[in-house]
Amino acid sequence: MALSGMTSQMSMTPKFQHNFMGPDWLHAEHSTGTSIMAVEYDGGVIIGADSRTTTGAYIANRVTDKLTRISDSIYCCRSGSAADTQAIADIVAYHLEFLSLEQGEPPLVETAANIFRQLCYDYRDQLTAGIIVAGWDSRKGGQVYCIPVGGMLVRQPLSIGGSGSTYVYGYVDANYKDNMTREECKKFVTNSLALAMMRDGSSGGVVRLGAIDKTGIERFVFTGKDIPKFYEG
Amino acid sequence: MKGDNCVAIASDLRFGVQAQTLALDFEKVFPMGPHLYLGLPGLATDTLTVRDRLKFRLNLYELRESRKIHPKTFSALVSNMLYERRFGPYFVEPVIAGLDPVTFEPYVCNMDLIGCINEPEDFVVAGSCTEQLYGMCEALWEPNLKPDDLFETCSQAIVNAFDRDAVSGWGAIVHIIEKDKITSRKIKTRMD
Repeated sequence: MALSGMTSQMSMTPKFQHNFMGPDWLHAEHSTGTSIMAVEYDGGVIIGADSRTTTGAYIANRVTDKLTRISDSIYCCRSGSAADTQAIADIVAYHLEFLSLEQGEPPLVETAANIFRQLCYDYRDQLTAGIIVAGWDSRKGGQVYCIPVGGMLVRQPLSIGGSGSTYVYGYVDANYKDNMTREECKKFVTNSLALAMMRDGSSGGVVRLGAIDKTGIERFVFTGKDIPKFYEG
Repeated sequence: MKGDNCVAIASDLRFGVQAQTLALDFEKVFPMGPHLYLGLPGLATDTLTVRDRLKFRLNLYELRESRKIHPKTFSALVSNMLYERRFGPYFVEPVIAGLDPVTFEPYVCNMDLIGCINEPEDFVVAGSCTEQLYGMCEALWEPNLKPDDLFETCSQAIVNAFDRDAVSGWGAIVHIIEKDKITSRKIKTRMD
């Protein structure tokens, strides 16, 4: 059955209870088996995600928003267990708001990423969360931090995640260029997500993008015909 | 689905392994006679094997009897073949739709993987999103639909059902079987 078979780093086992009767969506947990991506450009970051949440093979939500606000200029892309990632994002957003009130200045992306990492690492046995933190701050500009299931934290110019990402490693490696403009980045992310959604059963719906720079976030949604089409043979 | 002197049968076109999609042109509905179609959702290898073995049995039947098989008899043929493998079954759940070759009366039926026949008066569904399909068909179907309306109903039912299933979709084909012609149309669907 299609549960989010994640990247090879994220070993996710389907949480089936064998003593439950009936179709698996009665008892399978919600998963954002997913395609998520974040790319740095000069002056900010582009974040993107698909919009499918599944319980087993049933599509529980086909218009999910997986780009979650942590602060005005810091967002995270969620993959893995929907409940786990929502809970973690809420906690991080709370901590960050508190910190920024204490310090009297907008929070740093690296701070947010480290709070995520602390939670994901300390509770690694109980959580299934693959998160990409991305945003803009005045110190380092646009930044992307990747936090896969075990709780590692690494900063990268570009990061892909979720079960659908496995299908686009080649495309992303071949088409990424340094110093892309904002528009080039948007096109790159949209194309990659469209390809992943085509191949991965656990990804689909619409393509949600966010462009974060010093003025905050600008959101985009690509539906139906606007999603790029590739080889469909 | 049954209509007014016509039947419709539809399938998606996906071939995949769990979450990964491998092909977008894997038809699961095969013509078995001039007015007889058989759908075989389930394990792909058994889809092809059952289709071939059934064609073999059907050819022998038509040679011996010198006439085209009736849909009800064909169902019995399929059921018998599946029950022969009662304790090591083929992993397919057949759907049969056709018109009687003499009276042109519509016929639909489906079976479980060991050949239990279910022969209702309205519609049958099978596959990985049967719950969604039952809901759509129950809501949209009405008796005595004309071929064009039946096509519309059948298409909407299958497309909206598999848009809620992560492992179905990626294209669809609908066959409308009438007394004098069969119309097959591919539907442009979401490819996710």
